[in-house]
Amino acid sequence: MSNNQEDSLYNFKIVQWFTFCAVLYLLVGTFVGLYIAAELAWPFLNFDIPYLTFGRLRPLHTNAVIFAFGGCVLMASSHYIVQRTCAVRIWSDKLAWFTFTTWNIVIVSAVITLPLGLTQGKEYAELEWPIDILIAVSWLSYLFNFVMTLANRKVSHIYVANWFFLAMMVMITYLHVVNSLAIPVGLFKSYSIFSGVHDAMIQWWYGHNAVGFFLTAGFLGIMYYFIPKQAGRPIFSYRLSVVHFWALTFGYVWLGSHHLQYTALPDWAGSLGAAVSLAMIIPSWGGAVNGLFTLSGAWHKLRTDYVLRFLIMAVAFYAMSTFEGPLMSIRTVNALSHYTDWTIGHVHSGALGWVAMVGIGAIYHLIPVLWNTKMYSENLINVHFWMATIGTVIYICAMWVSGIMQGLMWRAYDEQGSLLYTFAESVEAMHPYYALRVLGGLVFVGGVALMFFNMIMTIKNSGQTAEATEGGR
Amino acid sequence: MSDINETPDEAGDTGHEWDGIRELKNPIPRWWMVSFYASILWLVLYLILYPSIPLITGNSEGLLGWTQVKEYKDGMKEVEAIRAPFEKRIKELDVGGILKDTELSQFAIASSKVLFGDHCAPCHGSGGQGTSGLYPVLVDDDWLYGGKIETIVETIAEGREGSMPGHKDSLSQKELDDVVKFVQSLSAGSFYAPGKKVYLGETAGEAECAGCHGEDGKGLTDFGSANLADGIWRFDGTQEGIMHTILYGVNEDNPDTRKAKMPAFGEKLMPEQIKKLAVKVHLLGGGQ
Repeated sequence: MSNNQEDSLYNFKIVQWFTFCAVLYLLVGTFVGLYIAAELAWPFLNFDIPYLTFGRLRPLHTNAVIFAFGGCVLMASSHYIVQRTCAVRIWSDKLAWFTFTTWNIVIVSAVITLPLGLTQGKEYAELEWPIDILIAVSWLSYLFNFVMTLANRKVSHIYVANWFFLAMMVMITYLHVVNSLAIPVGLFKSYSIFSGVHDAMIQWWYGHNAVGFFLTAGFLGIMYYFIPKQAGRPIFSYRLSVVHFWALTFGYVWLGSHHLQYTALPDWAGSLGAAVSLAMIIPSWGGAVNGLFTLSGAWHKLRTDYVLRFLIMAVAFYAMSTFEGPLMSIRTVNALSHYTDWTIGHVHSGALGWVAMVGIGAIYHLIPVLWNTKMYSENLINVHFWMATIGTVIYICAMWVSGIMQGLMWRAYDEQGSLLYTFAESVEAMHPYYALRVLGGLVFVGGVALMFFNMIMTIKNSGQTAEATEGGR
Repeated sequence: MSDINETPDEAGDTGHEWDGIRELKNPIPRWWMVSFYASILWLVLYLILYPSIPLITGNSEGLLGWTQVKEYKDGMKEVEAIRAPFEKRIKELDVGGILKDTELSQFAIASSKVLFGDHCAPCHGSGGQGTSGLYPVLVDDDWLYGGKIETIVETIAEGREGSMPGHKDSLSQKELDDVVKFVQSLSAGSFYAPGKKVYLGETAGEAECAGCHGEDGKGLTDFGSANLADGIWRFDGTQEGIMHTILYGVNEDNPDTRKAKMPAFGEKLMPEQIKKLAVKVHLLGGGQ
């Protein structure tokens, strides 16, 4: 099918816009992350301006990378994949634009309210109640359009990538709505209907499944389309797709309590979370195995295909993070790792190594197709690949050392049973690793800046900017 | 694609195709299936061994009898067994007795390290070096309220609050200039005679500096008044700094006053912890 025919059959313009936004938000979100990492190493950088303090910029960083970048890359790829794998145009163009517009209003609202200190104080769910309602409306429009497109499909079966997207959409609706239940006391202030340990449990049931369904299931959907497509290989095993899909969707919702080991949470809930977490290594690896084995017979392509490198490196990081996470949920390990930088390192091996890399790979695949051209520079993609990989490795190694050192310093006793270190001494010991993290982050953000430049030049050279195509269709 | 066909393709595909993507009918790798079943077995085992099943009243206890409270208590018991002989003597002896016992003093210093870091270091510095102009140095032998071990215990437990009247309205500019010069001259070993008169309250302003700081200017620990003759300055030893202190006083009701207040830790810390801290502070260098 030629590109022109595809253009008239599919709505690619919505995908173009989500793709453009994804790269922009990745640049902004990771830059804010870099800045707050520098604040931790050199605190004067907040310049005593409340809007720039770590406490206010940190939620901006997490919301920007998860919901702005992550959300846009998921919406770009799912709108693209559902059309192509169902061989049908998105059910409603208008609804797709509604999703796009409302989602971006949410992002802009976050950029304004979070530095102002307007927050519900729930991690990854900081946004106040009016924005929460808008998120729900936007998300449901996305879900409805997706389901209607699936219902209209021209092929008999639903492709595996779409199972993962649908699982994400259903679960995120449920998680977001329940965790955001609150009683407003003003336009910018509300109180959660849950309190105490119930609030903590609901929060981490939400928090872990934001990771589980938004950043894992959704991005597995991305992997299931772009790896076989980029490699030109069939999916290794249909059966493995089915088994690991159901194992993952069944298992993930149990895990939240492992964030609350050794707290007021009852023992049984913590045990249940830890036990299911460990049992989740293999289901998680099912996705990694299916992705990697899909490359059987095409491994040589990694030498020349830089996009494929991103996708495969992402799967490798995915396999590593999904081993590390369950390990950290075991109480004995958790007693050392909890509240330390090890957690931050783990999150970033997943966020930079898996989520960002697989998203970036997908975007590099999408840009030439969407704008019907070649990438401005293939070499820059290769440079970006190495910067992303090296930046991620520096970041997570620095946090491993720092986190484990913190954990050990906090619990170190001398032979008379006295604590060896004060808390301030442990903070001081972190400094070199915080500086190293800034370096890792700088390399990673530098790579993203190259990507942004490469994208802009590609769109420019394609002779059809997103605005220009608007009139043409 | 036939050029890269290798063994994976022998299984054939499912017959479906989406946008050019096919799915092979390869069986799930054996190691994966075995590990998957092992995971389920592990899950069941774990649920039997640990408290993990919510029941109508309470929860299943698990065969190992583990609870996090029990784990905490066991851990505390272990470390407390090591500390017990020392802690017992810290409790029994008065601070003077602890100070005489070298081994016990060492224990007091080590075990109060974190206490000092959390409660004292924010003002007095991690090594007791103080914060210039704001919080006193603890490593020298210059004591506002006295450096005896019992006094240090009292200072920590009950806190301290300095006081000195401001003389903005009571002294003339000339008197102020003179008394500042006198205070400066004390540390130099000379006495600026016109200022001494102001200091002793023999001029019109009737300042009563000597009442608190003593006629020799060496301070009185009963009042916590600073020694003005030792070249060590509680706030600021420059001409402007001394003038400021005399003008606005200490803990007075004006916005420019010097502040000198140490909180009482008796409400926060156990008596044994205060004893340990006192020993540590005493042995920082200047205990009397």
